[in-house]
Amino acid sequence: MKIIVCIKQVPSSNEVRLDPVTKTIVRDGKQSVINPFDAYAIEEAVRLKETCGGAVTALSMGIPATERLLRDAMSRGVDEAVLLSDRVFAGSDTLATSYALSLGVRKLGPFSLILCGKMAVDGDTAQIGPELAEMLGIPHVTEVNRILSVTEEEAVVEKQADGFLETLSVKLPALLTVSKDINMPRLPSIAGIRYSEKGPFRLLGAADVGADPERAGLSGSPTQVVKTETPRREQECTYLEGTQAEQAAAVLDLLREVRR
Amino acid sequence: MREILTFQPEYAEYLRDESRKTGRADSISFPETEEEVRGILRQVCAAGVPVTIQGGRTGLAAAAVPFGGHILNLSRMNRVLGIRQEDGSFFVRVQPGLALLELRKGLEKKNFDTEGWREEERQAFVEFCRAPEQFFPTDPTETSATLGGMAACNASGARSFRYGAARNYIQALRLVLTDGDVLSLRRGQCLAEGRRFSLVTEGGRRIYVELPTYQMPETKNASGYYAAEAMDAVDFIVGSDGTLGVMTELELKLLPLPPVIWGVSCFFETENQAVAFVKRLRKSGAEPAAIEYFDGGALEILRLQKKRSTAFSALPDVEDWAAACVYAEIHCGEEEEALKHLYEIGRELTASGGREEATWVARNDRDREQLQFFRHAVPESVNMQIDERRKVDPVITKLAADMSVPDSCLSQVVALYREGLTRCGLESATWGHIGNNHLHVNILPRDGEDYRKGKELYREWAKKVTAMGGAVSAEHGVGKLKADYLTVMYGKEHIREMAMAKKAFDPAFLLGRGNLFAPDVLGEEEG
Repeated sequence: MKIIVCIKQVPSSNEVRLDPVTKTIVRDGKQSVINPFDAYAIEEAVRLKETCGGAVTALSMGIPATERLLRDAMSRGVDEAVLLSDRVFAGSDTLATSYALSLGVRKLGPFSLILCGKMAVDGDTAQIGPELAEMLGIPHVTEVNRILSVTEEEAVVEKQADGFLETLSVKLPALLTVSKDINMPRLPSIAGIRYSEKGPFRLLGAADVGADPERAGLSGSPTQVVKTETPRREQECTYLEGTQAEQAAAVLDLLREVRR
Repeated sequence: MREILTFQPEYAEYLRDESRKTGRADSISFPETEEEVRGILRQVCAAGVPVTIQGGRTGLAAAAVPFGGHILNLSRMNRVLGIRQEDGSFFVRVQPGLALLELRKGLEKKNFDTEGWREEERQAFVEFCRAPEQFFPTDPTETSATLGGMAACNASGARSFRYGAARNYIQALRLVLTDGDVLSLRRGQCLAEGRRFSLVTEGGRRIYVELPTYQMPETKNASGYYAAEAMDAVDFIVGSDGTLGVMTELELKLLPLPPVIWGVSCFFETENQAVAFVKRLRKSGAEPAAIEYFDGGALEILRLQKKRSTAFSALPDVEDWAAACVYAEIHCGEEEEALKHLYEIGRELTASGGREEATWVARNDRDREQLQFFRHAVPESVNMQIDERRKVDPVITKLAADMSVPDSCLSQVVALYREGLTRCGLESATWGHIGNNHLHVNILPRDGEDYRKGKELYREWAKKVTAMGGAVSAEHGVGKLKADYLTVMYGKEHIREMAMAKKAFDPAFLLGRGNLFAPDVLGEEEG
């Protein structure tokens, strides 16, 4: 069984640190990491390979430095990795990203399953999986939290829906996006790291996958970001002073004010 | 002046610490400044009331558990007082009640409240903010430990394999004595002549101290007073278990944080393979900063805990065949160098009967957190199990060894522990700092009989470890629980010498009563 896992590089921390002197963002090389949800997709793919046989390919689109993360995926059991990297792809929204990934998948040849994390923690769109499946013309199931069985023809999966669980059977090839409940990702081993240093890695440009420049990158992206801003949190902390009775009276006043 | 509060039931938590031992007290205070500490000590000690000093109460030897008298709780003295730069190194001045966790947060985020700092310290802070990230290397498992408590027991932790214990990073300190006078000591400025100190307080009083004459074991050691020829006075106070005075200020030396920190857990089928690996690893070029151990009992507790409690469900799965685990940490400047060290570790573990496939390597924050969770889950799970058993039989407490031996005795001491545990049929979990031949053998008594057998076994081990040239307490301090073993280790005459040295600081024997030795050790002299 051939399994493809799509992964994305995201910043390792949500916490942006400001230099207290210069007030600029501290960029101290704290690494970017594999999108946490994608780590579950990698683990599930490797587990399927271990039970059903076959091979796992990791696929990503990003800057050349993403190679490091693809090799990290190899240290966790992925067999080979492909990176789509080209200026033509720069500035892609989810549609253009899905387009590029679909070309990458086609380039890889026949496959049984594509696994993605249910969303990326930086953009939070959860669109790539479904869009990629549509572009490839294959069925998809989102937020899978258990794969119950897999044969050459179909997969039976459990999906968390609003307040209930759905069990679905899906014809292969298909795409699944997975939630955090699906497994517990393993840590790489020394043997895995040795493999990842030399494991097969391919870098593909836009021309290699036959990308139409009109549909790729910024020109292929209908999404326009009009503005980004940090939400203002208006919270205030007031300390009440005085005797217990005075403090209680002050609380009452505050509550009345809120009700108004 | 800060109030001395009559002891009320609402303060009950201040009667115990992590040793799970409970004491009693008549009064308690929560000073916020050195001035307040001086006032309280003057008043309380003049009345002849014993004083027990407390920090985070995370100690495992009951040093902070009061046996009557006054509790001086320093948890509100938790400010960072300033920072200093000298020869490219940074030194941070803190109050003793500052929790390690808070210090770490401040260092990582480079965020301290600088209000009230001297101008030159504000300047140094600007330099500190520009400099690469700094860290305080002592890393006990419990990060709510206070710096004062860590100094009092000369704490260490996993990374002490490379960096040594807390003592190495305490540059200066202020110590308030029972009469309210203050001793201000800075490393390098007051050395013993032979084994004799002559110290001058800020009030102009001269204190002569005759140091104990024992030879300290050449191992990791937190057993009794540090005593050696021509030693530094700072070192005498560090590790003194709250028996000489109240530390009100500490200056800590910081180190630049290594840019690359990787962790690797290696699993083995037998304990012997793990021990063989540790010996090879110590001699190898991998230069680990930490070498830690988890035995089969510890791994089994984790497997059970993972099944039983959702809080532990995020623990990685430990395969059934694994009967021992060694964790090593690599600290490096560059990833390339770290990779070389990692492969070296791989070669050594293969040569010891392990497999490179049976390892967990953490190279990013997420994976590191997982390994850390794993390491911390062991003591936590053991404590939970003990608490459950205590409900059935309140006499039961955890019995935890904290002994260390020289490198040459590692196999011997592991065999000693294993033989004793098997002979007595005791349930146990062992983990700790195997790189320093320092294992925490934790006996999990099922009933009062097990508890009694365990205590007896520890006494036996204390004798044998001493004979190997080891220490009865390597990092937890002696406190009240191990005072007995300290006598086994040094003998009565040396204990008397320690008590005499204490007397020079605390003539009425009011501070930390019951810590290190029984208060009546000089009884016959006092008459």
